[in-house]
Amino acid sequence: MARLEIQNPVARTVQHSVNPAARLRDLRGATVGLYWNMKAGGDAALDRTEALLASRFPGINFRRYTGSVGWLMRHCTAEDADRIASEVSAVVGTTND
Amino acid sequence: MVELERRGVPSVIFTAEHFVADARRSALSFGLSGLPLAVVPLPFTNQRPEDVHRMAEAAVEQVVAGLTAPVEAWAAEAPPLTDERLVYEGGDLLEAWEGMNRDFLGRGWSDGFPLVAPTPRAVEAMLRGTKRDPTEVIATLEPGFGIATVEKLAVNAVMAGCPPAHLPLLIAAVKCLAEPKMYIRNKAMSTGPHAPLVLVNGPRAHLAGLNSGMCALGPGAPSAGNTVLGRAVRLAMMNVGHTYVGVSDMDTIGSPLKYSLCCAENQAGSPWEPYQVTRGFAREQSTVTVHFVYGICELHDFRSTTPEDLVEVFATAATNVAQVGTALWLIGRRADPRYKTEEKEHNTLFICPEHAQIFARAGWGRREIQQALYQAARMPFRTLMLNKEPKAMEVAHPELAWLADHPDLLLPVVETPECFEIAVVGGAAGRGAYFYGAGEPVTMPVDDP
Repeated sequence: MARLEIQNPVARTVQHSVNPAARLRDLRGATVGLYWNMKAGGDAALDRTEALLASRFPGINFRRYTGSVGWLMRHCTAEDADRIASEVSAVVGTTND
Repeated sequence: MVELERRGVPSVIFTAEHFVADARRSALSFGLSGLPLAVVPLPFTNQRPEDVHRMAEAAVEQVVAGLTAPVEAWAAEAPPLTDERLVYEGGDLLEAWEGMNRDFLGRGWSDGFPLVAPTPRAVEAMLRGTKRDPTEVIATLEPGFGIATVEKLAVNAVMAGCPPAHLPLLIAAVKCLAEPKMYIRNKAMSTGPHAPLVLVNGPRAHLAGLNSGMCALGPGAPSAGNTVLGRAVRLAMMNVGHTYVGVSDMDTIGSPLKYSLCCAENQAGSPWEPYQVTRGFAREQSTVTVHFVYGICELHDFRSTTPEDLVEVFATAATNVAQVGTALWLIGRRADPRYKTEEKEHNTLFICPEHAQIFARAGWGRREIQQALYQAARMPFRTLMLNKEPKAMEVAHPELAWLADHPDLLLPVVETPECFEIAVVGGAAGRGAYFYGAGEPVTMPVDDP
């Protein structure tokens, strides 16, 4: 029996940790941010989401956002995120494929 | 979205089923396990609005739950194999090696070709290619925030088949990858076929046995060094940066360029100063440049004898709106908001020595070629916008709204003339290469102590 000892090629990683935000008890009366990164179709999904949530949750209102930098994808800067956090109580995003 | 959670804002994102693993890995990398996803069957891109609406309707309960139900961390994936030494057994060493390759394929650690066994002895020999301490951390490599020690890079260099003289070049290439301006997270995790084009300049290229002439991008014996160094860069992206296909690399089609794409500049065949000088380095300084590229187009012309005619041919390669970077400046710039970096979309030309001599005979240098290409490579505004989001242009360039009334106006395919990078590569005959780039190249010195 032959034995081949080798070295593991996979690097260890730097670990980050973020606690999730407390969730809302109710969406009634909430101000919800609708964040679109400008990938095609995401705006249509948010349009429909806004209409559906508005029909279910009295007093809910919405603000639209996109990132202030980018190209195919518009990204949030830290300043954008600070502003959004100060203006809404929850966010629905279309940022992935 | 993780940044919003960090700021106390509950959030939920739409994600297509195909990209759930990618979204989870991304959220985990940024430290949030359990980021709520509203999973839809298909990406919204290329869908009719009514189909997008139907998908949004079907996912609305997930949206509500994502904002109101407690966040539960995702079940842990199989723990990573962190043993620094691994052992494979077989009837003989060949069997054991085959077992290693099978296991590596199963774990996603392989590019698909057989790997050289990174035995401690082979890694030790590789480390003699540098005076750096094996534990020195060269960079933290995204998207997985892998800690790129000299030793881990040496292990991957062995697996690629590199000789020790390549290790300092691989270290410089990894520094390029990790440079914030490179925004590798975007290129490594995309659905696009981003391939790192590695160009080596200076005396180290010769010492490392790299080919700059005939068939410099391979395959074959003359480019054996190019092939393995380019392969080592890919393996480092995978095993150090954790760019794994189907997990974080979501490339729709893939590309053979992603296996290996590396050469040296043909300085002997060039009438101009070395490429690294255009990047601000001294002529005698060895450098490694990495430019992520999407694809390649031949620059074939056996007839032209004037710079003007060559540029006219080259411009046909540049005017390809199906390549994502073409006139991307109309809708903004590639940007990493974490580091406040912005990139223009550059394209790299490998001009063959014969074509370079035609330019030089007429007194043209890189700058003249860049300017002429900038003038010649133009397309109608309407064509350039065929595959771009009009609203993105409204945001990026509100001052250009008037273009909507001039659909046939010819516009340049790049933002500035300097967006054409030019190096001399290759053997005899009038055939160069045009690389459709993704953002800007990054050059690093080979500064091994």
